[in-house]
Amino acid sequence: MKVAFAVDENRGLDSLISHRFGRAEYFVIVDTDTNSYKVVRNPGAEARSGAAIKAIQLLIKEGVRKVYAGSFGPNAMTALEEMGIEYVQLSGVPVKEALS
Amino acid sequence: MIEISVASGKGGVGKSTVSATIALRIAQTGRKLVVVDADADAPNMHLILGIDSWDWERPYSDSWVAQINQDLCTACGECYKVCPYQAIYVQEGRYYINEVICEGCYTCTLVCPVKGAIVRRQTESGRLRGVNTKYGFPLISARLNPGRPNSGKLVTEEKGIARGMSPDVVLVDSAAGIGCQVVSSLAGANMAILVAEPTPSSFNALKRVHKLTKHFMQPSAVVINKYDVNEGLTREIEEYAQENNMDLLGKVPYDDSIPKSMALMRPVTEAFPDSPASKALLSVADRVLEILDNWADWFRAFRPKRPEPYRPLIIKPEGI
Repeated sequence: MKVAFAVDENRGLDSLISHRFGRAEYFVIVDTDTNSYKVVRNPGAEARSGAAIKAIQLLIKEGVRKVYAGSFGPNAMTALEEMGIEYVQLSGVPVKEALS
Repeated sequence: MIEISVASGKGGVGKSTVSATIALRIAQTGRKLVVVDADADAPNMHLILGIDSWDWERPYSDSWVAQINQDLCTACGECYKVCPYQAIYVQEGRYYINEVICEGCYTCTLVCPVKGAIVRRQTESGRLRGVNTKYGFPLISARLNPGRPNSGKLVTEEKGIARGMSPDVVLVDSAAGIGCQVVSSLAGANMAILVAEPTPSSFNALKRVHKLTKHFMQPSAVVINKYDVNEGLTREIEEYAQENNMDLLGKVPYDDSIPKSMALMRPVTEAFPDSPASKALLSVADRVLEILDNWADWFRAFRPKRPEPYRPLIIKPEGI
């Protein structure tokens, strides 16, 4: 399963989970089946508005089923539920800690 | 780091006056504070603090407009016919784009028969600026150009600058409404201070913005400004706050020392420290200091017990 983590500074699996979802700078996307990961820029960070929607479009394209961030706005929560992507509120801890 | 957002839903109810008082008081205690004016449409914190120049200022761009390349344009006028905003005008047989009206939708590029005659160009939306105030804390502010929409991205950028200074407290003076920029002002904040006045419109707006703070599971406090202009409605707001486990920080009376201090471009608590409004505002600020001193207990007591997600209305196109 692919799990995404919203982060502001790219330090691989040591990146700290951001307090934001839609406007986080990157997503660390971990494939728990192959134990591999990649880091992608979040197009929502550059959006004037509708940031969460752009972020979710990316997650859908990447096949992500679960996402971690500190907070999810009203539009983010609704769209994630519509798309059946599980979301977990957690921030300030490294990605690898959240994984274990 | 504790981030406090001051919001109200309705504009003009006293957010900035309350924010300025709290900011001055926090700075006096020696805590490292950064204040963010998150209302780039009508920034006013610098006016209350008497700031007339900035330590740094830089352009901020997040919007695009269409631009006609006059060398390539054949003046066929197709763009002029389709522009949904009527942002294209003719002058002596040539076509030009009014950048204030252009929304950057690029409908014009779809009908333009000449490749490269209409291009996308990033335009300056406004300016970001900052200053070290004489009150001992930096202020981060932004100012939008006319016609440029406020954005959550701009507020996020302002808050990012503030957080980057690693202060003990970030105080965000939010814009009115519950739109994108207010969502960004509240997102990530540890505490919301909601300012209301006893009028039906302000009470209604308070409930709307409170839906957002409940969504983010933020502990909320309430300040009632001009409480004595309608004591019946003030009681209703107090009851609402109590029923919803919001901390009532205090009530500020109507007092013309506030508009007078604004005209002087000075915080009211400094210009007229003995006025009834100043005394009430200072007592509100002292309550905030108590909260900061007993943060963990206060947070536990006033944090919403369960999430109450704010569901926007979804309109789905047919067939999806």
